Amino acid sequence: MSAGDPIRLVVALSVAGMLAVFVLYTSIAGGATPSLRPSQLAGHHGNVALVGQVVGPVHGDAEGTGMRFDLTDIGGGAAVPVVYRGSVPDLFAVGRHVFVSGRLHDGVFVAKPGSLVTKCPSKYTPAKGGAA
Amino acid sequence: MTVLPLAVALLGLAAIVAFVAAPLVRRGSQGSAPADENLPVLERRDRALAALRELEFDHRTGKITDADYRALLGRLRTEAAEALQAVGPAEGAG
Amino acid sequence: MAELGRDALLGTLALALYAAVVGGYAAARGHRALGQSARNALLAAFATTAVACGVLVLAFAREDFSLVYVAQHSSRELPLPYALAALWSGESGSLLLWLLVLTGMSAVAVLCNRPLVADVLPWTVPILGGISAFFVLVPVLAASPFATQAAPADGAGMNVSLQNPYMLVHPPLLYLGYVGLTIPFAFAMAALASRRTDERWLHATRRWTLASWTLLGVAILIGAKWAYETIGWGGYYAWDPVENAALMPWLAATAFLHSVMIQEKKAMLRVWNVVLVSLAFCLSLFGTFLTRSGVVNSVHSFSRSSIGAWFLIFIAIAAAFASFLILTRLPTLRARSRLESLVSREAAFLYNNLLLVAFALTVLWGVLFPIVSQALRGETFTVGPPYYDFFLRGFGLPLLLLMAVGPLIAWRRASVRSLLRGLRWPLVVALAAGAMLLEAGAGSSPPGLLAYTFSVFVLGGIVLEFIRGTRARKALGARTWPGAFVSLVGRNRRRYGGYISHAAVVMLAIGIAGSSAYSSSASARLQPEQTISVAGYSLRYDGTTFHPGRNHDELRAHLAVFRGGRADGIVSAGKNNYHVESFFSNAVAIRTDWLRAQDLFVIAQQFNRDGSVDVKVVVNPLVDMIWFAGAVFLVGSLVAMWPDAREKRRHPRRAFAVGIASA
Repeated sequence: MSAGDPIRLVVALSVAGMLAVFVLYTSIAGGATPSLRPSQLAGHHGNVALVGQVVGPVHGDAEGTGMRFDLTDIGGGAAVPVVYRGSVPDLFAVGRHVFVSGRLHDGVFVAKPGSLVTKCPSKYTPAKGGAA
Repeated sequence: MTVLPLAVALLGLAAIVAFVAAPLVRRGSQGSAPADENLPVLERRDRALAALRELEFDHRTGKITDADYRALLGRLRTEAAEALQAVGPAEGAG
Repeated sequence: MAELGRDALLGTLALALYAAVVGGYAAARGHRALGQSARNALLAAFATTAVACGVLVLAFAREDFSLVYVAQHSSRELPLPYALAALWSGESGSLLLWLLVLTGMSAVAVLCNRPLVADVLPWTVPILGGISAFFVLVPVLAASPFATQAAPADGAGMNVSLQNPYMLVHPPLLYLGYVGLTIPFAFAMAALASRRTDERWLHATRRWTLASWTLLGVAILIGAKWAYETIGWGGYYAWDPVENAALMPWLAATAFLHSVMIQEKKAMLRVWNVVLVSLAFCLSLFGTFLTRSGVVNSVHSFSRSSIGAWFLIFIAIAAAFASFLILTRLPTLRARSRLESLVSREAAFLYNNLLLVAFALTVLWGVLFPIVSQALRGETFTVGPPYYDFFLRGFGLPLLLLMAVGPLIAWRRASVRSLLRGLRWPLVVALAAGAMLLEAGAGSSPPGLLAYTFSVFVLGGIVLEFIRGTRARKALGARTWPGAFVSLVGRNRRRYGGYISHAAVVMLAIGIAGSSAYSSSASARLQPEQTISVAGYSLRYDGTTFHPGRNHDELRAHLAVFRGGRADGIVSAGKNNYHVESFFSNAVAIRTDWLRAQDLFVIAQQFNRDGSVDVKVVVNPLVDMIWFAGAVFLVGSLVAMWPDAREKRRHPRRAFAVGIASA
């Protein structure tokens, strides 16, 4: 790149400026949601993504009134009751690690419909780009 | 079952060592490659000729106005002529 | 057998280190015989890696569960093709395949470019050797695929979501794409190290870059199709970190492919090009790091493994090495001309580069955001699809617009008037199409409407380019119109191949916009004979069947499809029960309406005891354009890559001119 080319400098600076604004915009205006473990959940009442381990028993009906289960930190700890409606992924089971997003409501984590995602069990180490 | 892999491994090892060492045994290296002062000149020539062709085609397909075409043509022709001259008579034909 | 595999890997390690160390010494001292010896070591490293891979594949074929890796990733009931593909279903096997591809490509690259870059090659060998040495160090030290155990009766089986034909092609293609980016990087670094920063490294690596870019793109699309068909949520791309990991180097490589052309035409952007090729390489390494380290929560990477740190160190080394070489060689990379006008083809290329790199970096920022926020605020924040969608629109729509305008601008300098004259017809067609779409109700999604209007604009421009070019060729003496067309494409394969790829990107945009902005879905609990309706389809639930099988049992709900009151066949969606893995997976039903490129997507979410079934039905308009785009993309790349006799004639002459053709 020739240092004396003012046009290029202008273009680069304007794009860099645009980028900076966009990034600031998204990080301030709440494009991001906090990702928490169940033990950190107390006190958060906004939208969060919860990462934890499923503890049984799982009861209820995800298609009807809602499926209920508890989530603890991976490795154990305090449990948070979760109610979820929507499609249940293949890998969902007691003991699995899952993400779910939603918000805390009177001590119960009410999940957004369809937000449940399971992590693969540790027994498998899927190929890179495995099941997308 | 224990002898066979060992034999295969040893055989493979010998072949690899021979293959890697071959250039060292077969001496007669001529030193490193010569410098390439001429190369930028050749690149400049090819670039100038390509630019002329490109301009011609852009003009024919109507991407450039006649006025712009004439202005650029003169300049690019001068550039190409200079580049050809710099390359010298042997390679100039391009 | 396992010993043979281990020995072969150790052999690869020794050979790669030899190529790196001895090759580096030979290149620095200009010692030709040593350099050739190092090159031979690099070739031999491919042979030993092939032996190691062969041992592992054979172990899978023979169901040799005394190898821990085989036992963990296969079982007696697993069908043979999957048993063989199990080579890359786990971490250490994937690394082995990666190494095989890397050494194989290195061997081909140093063999087939000899005359053109004979004075750069001595440096290419040690760089490729060093990279190979890293990739063999990891399986040797941290994750050996040849660890043995007392053989259990049966293996643990393969992850069920991997038991899919896409598994056979997606990972190898992805590796080919990732690893292929190593070759241009190695040549660029070698050109810098040897201070031969002329254009030859670009010529030597152009097809490598194009090929790996194509493979990476196709692999991403195949991965998307895989996700679409097996995961069963109705989508194909979820901005998961691991998906992004492949997208980022693809974007960087796309930018590189474009900026290379400016360097060739104008001898500009020479620093930018080496930066881009290094960025693409580092991003491909970073992709592997992401999948392997478990630092970022992803649907893919759950095995927290120790090799993440290795990759981080290696990325740091590679980035430092590249930066050092670029900075110390800056004087040799001075541009030989300037940008003449902000309205010119090269300026359009420049904007395209800035947008592509900006998009790649925003994706990178999104992927890194959880780590950065954890470090700065002590709390992990993640950014979701809305973030990425925002930037996809923010950068993607201008890119589409540039794609329409760029090809129609003249090089060097274009007056706005001639540009507008050239754009007249595409603009008219696009505005007409936009108005028609608005009338048809596409205004429900402004970004979708915009994407469609721009897409028509691009397509109009491409068609116009082909028409004008053919007409010019005809005027220059081609006899027939088809003859003129063939001669047009044949004389500039890169340009017209590129236009075909542009058409593919437009199709992709149409597919993405259609399926994301205009899809509709419904879900319901159906008793037998009940129906569910969505977007012109009605489905009647006719009952459930159960088929036991050797590897898995199949439970299916059958639904009769009606469109406009007419019966339109039966779809069967359900679940598979895999025995060894003791696991249920969704088997979705997809019915494609080829004429409209529209999919009816049916998921049987849950089978209830009372005989009812919970189904979700999604109608994805235009989603099949995405897969068509893959085919068109491939055609475009092949046209651009096709050997060109005139180019071949010119390059050896340049090599001859510097007195190295005899080497």
